[in-house]
Amino acid sequence: MRLKKGFVLREVCGERVIMGEGLGAINFGKLLALNETAAWLWQQAQAMGDFTVEALAEKLCAEYDVTADEAKADVKEMIAEWQKVDVVE
Amino acid sequence: METRYYEVAGHRFCVSGEEDVFTLMSNYEPFACADGETVFALDVENGDAPEYVEEMRQEDEGQTIICGHTAAGEAVFEFLRPVGSKRPEVERHRWGVTAGWLVCSDDYSQGRLITTGKHEKMAIDNALMIMFALATADKGTVLFHAAVVSYKNKGYMFLGPSGTGKSTHASLWQRYIAGTALVNDDNPVVRISEDDTATVYGSPWSGKTPCYRSVHYPLGGIVLLSQAPYNKIERLNGIYAYAALMESISGKRWDERIADGLHQTENALASSIPVWHLECLPDEEAAKLCNETITQ
Repeated sequence: MRLKKGFVLREVCGERVIMGEGLGAINFGKLLALNETAAWLWQQAQAMGDFTVEALAEKLCAEYDVTADEAKADVKEMIAEWQKVDVVE
Repeated sequence: METRYYEVAGHRFCVSGEEDVFTLMSNYEPFACADGETVFALDVENGDAPEYVEEMRQEDEGQTIICGHTAAGEAVFEFLRPVGSKRPEVERHRWGVTAGWLVCSDDYSQGRLITTGKHEKMAIDNALMIMFALATADKGTVLFHAAVVSYKNKGYMFLGPSGTGKSTHASLWQRYIAGTALVNDDNPVVRISEDDTATVYGSPWSGKTPCYRSVHYPLGGIVLLSQAPYNKIERLNGIYAYAALMESISGKRWDERIADGLHQTENALASSIPVWHLECLPDEEAAKLCNETITQ
């Protein structure tokens, strides 16, 4: 899967926020606040282009002190949220 | 052809056209200035439709703006005024009559407004608002959709979707709070200086209320209004303040350079200017509650 085009990660008043700015995303109409890990995952997913839960979990394991199972569960949860607000496809 | 210069929020621009163009521009006269370097220049002329590809349609207060670009990469904005009929045989014209096309360079510093002879004033005002907003977006400047009043030498700005009662709330201040004056009723400009102080300016654009004042005040506070069966005010912080500002600033955010500029200004404002949410009735108590809270 991939992050939908037109969404950008910005710093707003010290917080990390996803907003729709590009054509097709401009009517997103909301701001999505991310915690530090989620913002880091967003950047990894952005860099990968096409990504999978496994690939992101692997990245998470390499960067943070978590087990493979924990990483996979965290990534799954994160992506489920992104799917709910429709920023991935 | 004649060229006239105007200055809004410290940004100079010029308009060139035949004499009849300027007779439609009396709202710009308080902003007339000497010639000099400009942030953008607009030529107004009659002509035919340019060829362009549509990117986006925005509907706002009974008019439609189609945004697109030419094969050469110029930005195009077509201004449509809806026709009032609901009869099925005119349904295909439901996007209305074209008032004009604005064709501008990709940095928005040079523009050409092609008029059709219909709703020419609307086309001129739209073209100048768009060029002003886009040419100054990377210069700490934003064009708001808001009403602004002055009180004790500061400017206070009221935001909210169309129909919320921004103008009504501004007129309640004028009626019940001595020392209040209207600065602008629809499209004020806010500019952040290098030391992060924010100033609010009157403009030649003021919606249905003719209030074209070349005045400016330090920005004292921003209030997002919503209608309620009671009066209540609370402070908005962080991303909530930012979101309130963002919805009141139009701009071509799918142009990355514009989006970056607007974001920086919105972020600086949300961090440095008190932003409030007022749930209110259209009454004296709402104006007094708001005034007492935000001008402390």
